[in-house]
Amino acid sequence: MAERALARLTRLLGIVSYLETHGEAPFDELAARFGTTPTQIEADVWLLFTTGKPGGMPDDYVDFDGDALDEGIARLRDGQGLTQVRFSAREAVALLGALSSLEASGAAPPAAASALTKLKTAVGDVAPVEVMGESRADPQVVAVVREGAESGRAVALEYVDAQDHRTERLIEPHRLVTIDGVGYVECWCHRAGDYRTLRLDRIMSAALTEDVVTHAPADHTGFSLAPRYEATVEAARAARWALESMPGASISETDQGILTTFPVADADWVAGRLLAIGPHLHSVAPAALADAVARRAADVLAAQDG
Amino acid sequence: MAGTEAAGRLLNLIIALTDSGARMTRERIRATVEGYDTVPAGASEDERRRLDAAFERKFERDKDDLRRLGIPLRTVVDPIHGDDIGYRIDAAAAALPPLDLSPAELAVVGIAADLWSDATLGEDARQALTKVASASDERPSERVVLSGTSSAVADAVAALVEAIELRREVRFGYTSAASGSSTRTVRPWRLVLRGGALYLQGHDVDRGEPRTFRLSRFHGTVRAVGDEGAFEIPAAMPAAFEEQEPGEALLAVRAEAGHALRARGAARGRDGEWDVIAVRYHHADQLRDEVLALAGAARVIEPLWLADEVRAHARGALEAVRG
Repeated sequence: MAERALARLTRLLGIVSYLETHGEAPFDELAARFGTTPTQIEADVWLLFTTGKPGGMPDDYVDFDGDALDEGIARLRDGQGLTQVRFSAREAVALLGALSSLEASGAAPPAAASALTKLKTAVGDVAPVEVMGESRADPQVVAVVREGAESGRAVALEYVDAQDHRTERLIEPHRLVTIDGVGYVECWCHRAGDYRTLRLDRIMSAALTEDVVTHAPADHTGFSLAPRYEATVEAARAARWALESMPGASISETDQGILTTFPVADADWVAGRLLAIGPHLHSVAPAALADAVARRAADVLAAQDG
Repeated sequence: MAGTEAAGRLLNLIIALTDSGARMTRERIRATVEGYDTVPAGASEDERRRLDAAFERKFERDKDDLRRLGIPLRTVVDPIHGDDIGYRIDAAAAALPPLDLSPAELAVVGIAADLWSDATLGEDARQALTKVASASDERPSERVVLSGTSSAVADAVAALVEAIELRREVRFGYTSAASGSSTRTVRPWRLVLRGGALYLQGHDVDRGEPRTFRLSRFHGTVRAVGDEGAFEIPAAMPAAFEEQEPGEALLAVRAEAGHALRARGAARGRDGEWDVIAVRYHHADQLRDEVLALAGAARVIEPLWLADEVRAHARGALEAVRG
């Protein structure tokens, strides 16, 4: 598929702008800088050659040193005043939004916060996006886990899972990830004897050990729980947003509301999520999942009413 | 390559409008900037009309593209020929300021640009990254142990940003817990990112008051309706949009349970077998869901309405599964 004109235009302006400051650069250096191939950079330079002021006199065109081009070097002679332009509103929201999301997850390194400050200044007031709130992850815990991942050393954790089981684990951290604004660490967990993705805000404490990481990072990311069966849930339309967020959910509209199916790997976890839309639930199948919901609902009521 | 012709023409247009210092009318742009078709001598009236219309379409599209690129075209009206609109680009205002990002900062910005799984915002983010790369001396540092993904409804984000920029009203399908599914018409003011979730804040036209909408509860497409410049965005946002003061709840948790709550809360003694803790919260529904997820290992003492909500949710679920 042909590259979009705007993406190319942005790079063309970038090449001229960079060369205005640095004078010259080899094609392959520009290619690495702008995430493309040297061949593409060469085609970009030739396109720039043909652009210029109205009138079309020889001095009116963007110009490069021809001899340098033969050696694969872009040496700018005349940029005709072209320069990189400021961020558009959409670009600013796309980049600042993403960076803020990384930062708010608690998983990003300190450089995310300083980059955000610099970019916000550069963007000025064109970006109609505000960031509020902050991560519950403990920054000291995250710093230890990150140091483990960067230096290749194991970390000893105190972890509380979604079912409130408190465990001590030795993990080999490979990478911090954010998924929809929540921070996790991908690791090899010695306790489980398998790869795990642990939520950073559920790590109560972390200590760096002297043990060296021995397991290679998993070649897949995200969650590795195997689904055990397919759930079918009917609910009022008001519960749509909650059901949409179930991994692998497919949703259809019915006369009474919505019908959702999704794979269930952990019935207790799903049951907990379904309680949160309790007043909107119409039916839950299969019986194994309905039982899990009933059991947990009864436990909640028993606790609440003493 | 299809992008070549358009990219070249837009470059010529940028050079011409930046260089002229004065304004350029449409006619002059068409006659002198390379890439636009002029009407050949001896053209028939039909052909002239067709070419005129084609030029208008192309020029409107190019103006739109320049705005999307971040270059607003300034329209300048001639003091003598008042109806003759001219265009120009204010070079100083259009230029990207120096960024001066460190290698570590560039690396994390690069990861952020890959966050959106959706095509529309992904392209915008990569374009922004190209701009960052052209204004930075440094190169990204190699090894960063971080990655991110988002399943946010980015098509909606792009449409909303566009509408905010043009001050156009938007219409979209929305599901709320309070009023079910309905179509909303909103004057969009800004997007808010909180705890990884995106919200739209603006003026709900039908309800006649400022409202906050969670983007994950949108359905269907976001359509811009009505004219550009249809409203002003208030300089000061209404008090209803401010982050609310956190509330405090008193919870009872069983021994050896509720660890995450304990870690955030403060001990307040005991109640029989239960430990009592005080927990601050910003969003009552999040705390309610947390108590529900503990399945009887925690209960709400105060506030009473939150305890009632926990009961109502558990009862509702129980009735549904007992059918």
